[in-house]
Amino acid sequence: MYDLIIIGGGPGGVAAGIYAARKKIKAALITDTFGGQSLVSSSIENWIGTKSISGFDLAQSLEEHLRAQSGIDIMDGDLVSAVAKRDDGTFAVTTKNGKTLETKYILLTSGSRRKRLGVPGEDTFDGKGVVFCTTCDAPLFGGKTVAVVGGGNSALEGVEDLLHYAAKIYLFVRSEVLRGDPVTQEKVKSHPNVEIFWNSVIEEIKGETFVNAVTYKNVKTGESKDLPLDGVFVEIGLVPNSDFVKELVTLDPFGKVVVDHKTQQTSAAGIWAAGDVSDVLYDQNNISVGDAVKATLNIYDKIKKS
Amino acid sequence: MAKVTIYSTPTCVYCKMAKEFFKKNNVAYEEHDVAADMKAREDMVAKSHQLGVPVIDIDNNIVIGFDQKTIVGLLGLDKKVTAPAA
Repeated sequence: MYDLIIIGGGPGGVAAGIYAARKKIKAALITDTFGGQSLVSSSIENWIGTKSISGFDLAQSLEEHLRAQSGIDIMDGDLVSAVAKRDDGTFAVTTKNGKTLETKYILLTSGSRRKRLGVPGEDTFDGKGVVFCTTCDAPLFGGKTVAVVGGGNSALEGVEDLLHYAAKIYLFVRSEVLRGDPVTQEKVKSHPNVEIFWNSVIEEIKGETFVNAVTYKNVKTGESKDLPLDGVFVEIGLVPNSDFVKELVTLDPFGKVVVDHKTQQTSAAGIWAAGDVSDVLYDQNNISVGDAVKATLNIYDKIKKS
Repeated sequence: MAKVTIYSTPTCVYCKMAKEFFKKNNVAYEEHDVAADMKAREDMVAKSHQLGVPVIDIDNNIVIGFDQKTIVGLLGLDKKVTAPAA
């Protein structure tokens, strides 16, 4: 029986792991990979104490710092699939690889994942023209015609990445405005290789072995059309990884776990949450670290009193 | 020793993670940059029907993405790694 299981290996989870180890809490940390969503960033310039660091280097330094602690069990390459509350108030945590662990307390630092379009063809052509990691796969679309879906910063940065490779980029924006950095907006709007489809959504992704077209709809006129292209880059934001606790804790309308921001406690006794999976106002690495530390200290207080 | 080939792009962080993983486990691998090498890109697409990296070929078994569990299984590393006490 653990005292604490930390779910997630982003900046929040690692901070919690380090504090838990130093407080000699009997803890385990379960994560697929380290570094969280910043992992794919080419450069992070607001990680305090470091002028510039790549997501990969940040992930490595977090992992190294955690592994330097003794007394915490680290289970990476695995994911939590279910959490069940037992009659005595403790929890059973089950992983994808089929392990079941028992714990008194849980800290959710499971972050967010990319939102999918939820249209026909998206799953069929995932990795066959449908792309969820623009930085990874943009170089494979040299000279091709592609669509980027989304109107925020990640979509705009996706277009910027693709400008180095693709011959033509269609940007699909659901509304009439772009959000995100004004400088990048201007660059994208004025580039001759970019064509913006305002008020437009993708309804279907079509192809044979690979993507060869999309059906899109203008939400104002209601008109649907087909457009031939080679790739669809989905950059429509994030959803919190809270599915496996949705029966146990209160979620906000966006699926984020509601917490008491003084202690990071959720609505369920014995479960805390910090970082992007919680209903924190600002999704930031530095804030996730602070909130996760706050949660761990609060859990430590609880353990001392029990 | 298994023959390991990784198809990657310079900007792909999951490719870097896979390569780090191979290095840590003393697994020799051959790398092809499919952003620059068109022939390698064609090979990758033919083998995997994928337009995404990384694609990893372990003795003709194709792994899509950095799927650590599958890679560990194919390389037989699970017999060497000691699992943490639960």
